[in-house]
Amino acid sequence: MSKQKALENYSFIFPSFLLTMVLGIYPILWAIHYMFYDYKGYGEKLFIGLSNFKRLWYDELFWNSVWNTLIYAGGKIVITIPISLILAVILNRKIRGHNLLRAIYFMPTVISTAVISVVFFIIFNSYNGLLNQFLQKLGIISSSVEWLGPKYAMLTVIIVAIWGAIGNYMLLFLAGLQSIPEDLYESASIDGANAVHKFWYVTVPMLGPVMQMIILLAITISLKGYESIMVLTEGGPIGKTDVMFLYVYKLLFPVSTGSVYIQEIGYGSAVGFATAIIVGLVTCVYFILSKKMNKIY
Amino acid sequence: MPSTIAIQAERNKRVQRKLIGMTANAVLWLFLLAIALFTLFPVVMTILGSFKSNMELTSGATLLPQKWLFSNYVEAWQQANFSVYTWNSVFVSTAATIGTLLVASMAGYVVDRRNFVGKKLFVALQASTMFISIGAVVLRPQFELMVSLNLHTSLWGVVLILISAHATTFFILLGFFKAIPHDLDEAATLDGCSFTGIYWRIILPLLRPGLGVAALFAFRAAWNEYILPLVFTMNNPMQQTLTVGLANLRYANSAAMQTQLMMAGACLSMLPLLVVYLLANKTFMQVTAGSIKG
Amino acid sequence: MKRSHSMLLLAIILLMVLSACSSGNTNKQTNESDSNSERSGKNQQASSGEKTKLVYWTFDRHDADFIKETVDRYNASNEDNIHVEVKSMAENYAQSVDIAFASGQSPDILRPNQDTMIPFMKKEYLEPLDSYLTDEMKQKFEATFQDQVNQFDGKIYSLPNFGYTLRLVYNVELFEKAGIEKPPASLDELVDAAKKITDVGKADGQYGFALNFKSPKSALDRSAREILQLSGYDGFGFDHKTAKFDFTPYKEVIEAFKQMKDDGSMLPGVESLDIDPLRAQFAEGKIGMYLSYSAEAGVYSSQFPAKIEWAATLAPTITGEIKGTSGFANSGQWLAISSQSKYKEEAWKFLSFMYSDETLQAYHEKGLGLSAVPTIASNAKAPELTGVDGFLISEYDALWPVPPAVTVEGLNYGDVFLKYILGGGDLDEAVSDLNQRYNSALDKATASGEIKVTPDASFDPIKLQGSMLAK
Repeated sequence: MSKQKALENYSFIFPSFLLTMVLGIYPILWAIHYMFYDYKGYGEKLFIGLSNFKRLWYDELFWNSVWNTLIYAGGKIVITIPISLILAVILNRKIRGHNLLRAIYFMPTVISTAVISVVFFIIFNSYNGLLNQFLQKLGIISSSVEWLGPKYAMLTVIIVAIWGAIGNYMLLFLAGLQSIPEDLYESASIDGANAVHKFWYVTVPMLGPVMQMIILLAITISLKGYESIMVLTEGGPIGKTDVMFLYVYKLLFPVSTGSVYIQEIGYGSAVGFATAIIVGLVTCVYFILSKKMNKIY
Repeated sequence: MPSTIAIQAERNKRVQRKLIGMTANAVLWLFLLAIALFTLFPVVMTILGSFKSNMELTSGATLLPQKWLFSNYVEAWQQANFSVYTWNSVFVSTAATIGTLLVASMAGYVVDRRNFVGKKLFVALQASTMFISIGAVVLRPQFELMVSLNLHTSLWGVVLILISAHATTFFILLGFFKAIPHDLDEAATLDGCSFTGIYWRIILPLLRPGLGVAALFAFRAAWNEYILPLVFTMNNPMQQTLTVGLANLRYANSAAMQTQLMMAGACLSMLPLLVVYLLANKTFMQVTAGSIKG
Repeated sequence: MKRSHSMLLLAIILLMVLSACSSGNTNKQTNESDSNSERSGKNQQASSGEKTKLVYWTFDRHDADFIKETVDRYNASNEDNIHVEVKSMAENYAQSVDIAFASGQSPDILRPNQDTMIPFMKKEYLEPLDSYLTDEMKQKFEATFQDQVNQFDGKIYSLPNFGYTLRLVYNVELFEKAGIEKPPASLDELVDAAKKITDVGKADGQYGFALNFKSPKSALDRSAREILQLSGYDGFGFDHKTAKFDFTPYKEVIEAFKQMKDDGSMLPGVESLDIDPLRAQFAEGKIGMYLSYSAEAGVYSSQFPAKIEWAATLAPTITGEIKGTSGFANSGQWLAISSQSKYKEEAWKFLSFMYSDETLQAYHEKGLGLSAVPTIASNAKAPELTGVDGFLISEYDALWPVPPAVTVEGLNYGDVFLKYILGGGDLDEAVSDLNQRYNSALDKATASGEIKVTPDASFDPIKLQGSMLAK
């Protein structure tokens, strides 16, 4: 490689690399070295080697959270991605009101989670929730459904997640669609393709790399998502909606609404590390399975 | 001359196609409207909620406020020192967005177009920062780093930390980079364009939709950041951002939350984000017309 | 192309302009914080006539107006040239304190509470107050010194101001409607009353009982806790006589709660009900009874103005017989001095002002909190809040010894009991599992020296009766 090229390569990478290492990686390493210790946030930390991991292995709360996370992420992605894609495709054309509709779908992302959770509680609560009132008026259900109860909490939480995510992914897909040259569609029309054909044979393949990235993003974000769950159900009731990152958060930052959990930085870091490994594994699997999305033909 | 039966068949087919077209259209519209309603309802509830009294809001059940308390907005504005906080938020978010776009696009450009030693490691590094996030524990070492740089009482410290979290932007842009054909680079090099020149003049403009969307996300992420600016502005209330200021509204002067003030504050802080959205939306409007002929 | 060029240029210029503005700020801030962290405050002293500046961080919101007034008065009148700056932290008080200490910017005066006291202690944030306490003050606060609460290794680190009593809060109108003469005194009567209220009120959306089970431990700590304490058992499952955990006494209480749930006497959706929505519904008259802290009185006068007539009374006991005392909660701490402070003497001067009889008495009388200091509580007039009389300290309130805080693996008792209340199961097994897990955590903590517990065979909560009333 010529010196000129090498200079270009590394200088373009440099800012990113520097910032990532110093402010990204180093703090993570620093924070995570706690996982070999028993550290409650004060005093000396006791080196306990792999004990935290042994405890993790038998921790039913942890495995419960893993399972919940997979269901949550799976449910959210399976519904959000297709809907977002379809919306993007429809709104990509200059149909009437498409700008207004785009803005509408974008709105959820503009409101902070703390605020919107109050509204969702008003909608979903089983005492006088708006949803129950509505469904009962229509005669669809006869008595209140406990949307935030043990049976349906996960479903509710997934619905809220979908609500917040559709706009996001729609925008990403829109941007991706914009980079598909019009000529391709024109030549397809000339060849006699109808809308559905155009979708399958032009849009989808051309979207390949962008779609791969978008789904990757969706997977990592969904597996890590916990804020909206935290404010809506706090992982309850009885851990039914406890996801991995929420479990980690509660270990590191005890919720002090009168209930005292003890801050466990050592064990919390270990759980955080295990969580990262799981997310990494899922992502790797995804990468392997989606290799073919990368080729544009 | 075609027989009348043939003409009839032809007409039937046309009518059929029109009907299918119309039903398809109707279905699409229904779909759009259903999603729109689903999306809008909680937002409308939030806006309505900002006019309700605390008790009415917390006990739920009503749609329209019993009394329209516009005073909520006045109270929220005064209590939260809104103009100062808004300016701080705008500053932090804009600086972070521009920085993130620059850093991530530069890296993405080189990763997509060139091969070099350590490229795979670099990509893995970026990916790992996306997976491994253990929340605010990293704040402590990040803060201490800033202390050593004496940036710990300035919003620039916040901006730098926000920029350092560019992995998501990097991957988004990478996806878009891949969609720009390499022939363009070759054509430009033949025309005598340098590596950097290609970056500025050809790639970036083509990257517009990707940049637009990445900018939107980066801005919003920076805008909604709470704990980070909180930590850095603890002793400097005049530097606090909107999120920090809004949080103060929650527990204004009582043991219970003043939720209605929080709602009013949230509605106010939605506006700048909407403006940014409208600006960014323009980038999704252009259609790249024929960049390569043939 | 040209356009994006110029836009980029514009952005960079904008950025430079902005950075110039804020570097100006940064420089100013850096200077300020440099001198602040030196704590000599020379700039401040030069400009404002040699005043010593103290920083006071609190997380209390309900008394913000009162505190501000009091501090302003102090600043204007004190003869020691001290200026105190009060700051109310939104949330994350403990975190903010951690970060402040880590960067050497700690406030001078802290406000620890029952949750943060021990962590603050262990992280060595607090300065012992013994050398500052006058004999008069020692006598005044004598009865409130408690080990592991405000006293550690024989040294005092904070003094109490107020605390909360725990009571049964009930809707007088609903009781009349259901024809119940007096509030329940036993678990059976509680279940019964809840059922009656629901029977007559269900059509109007009124239910007999509710608790904020969204945070199960918080819900039980304000309900099962004082029921157990009045019945003679510890409110957190710790047996002081044997210094071991034993959750068996909870069984009857939890059974009663489950019975109410099964009867349909509980507000639907209690498992996702947070304390504020509960209060809103109670204020609307939809809930017959619940149990909570004396803070409720303040809530129903300003935040959620009660539309109904309500009152508070002593919680029921398991059998109807009172064999103990109701705990006085969250009371051991109020203000403390930072170990990093450069102005400890001055900070103490401020503290003695805040802890003066006038200030504490005014605090109590304004209904901001029931005084934990016996002399104040007996001398002060009753607080001016509707409904607070049921909460006032009686002979049946007392300070209990504090159970040890242990790291238990798996579900804590709040979650375990809520699980049973919602879904049934084997309560005996759940209790023995809790005992086993909590005690093994206790053993671990004792073995590592983190916690010290000593059994007290002579412990009897009945003996505590009347201890909070001044002699």
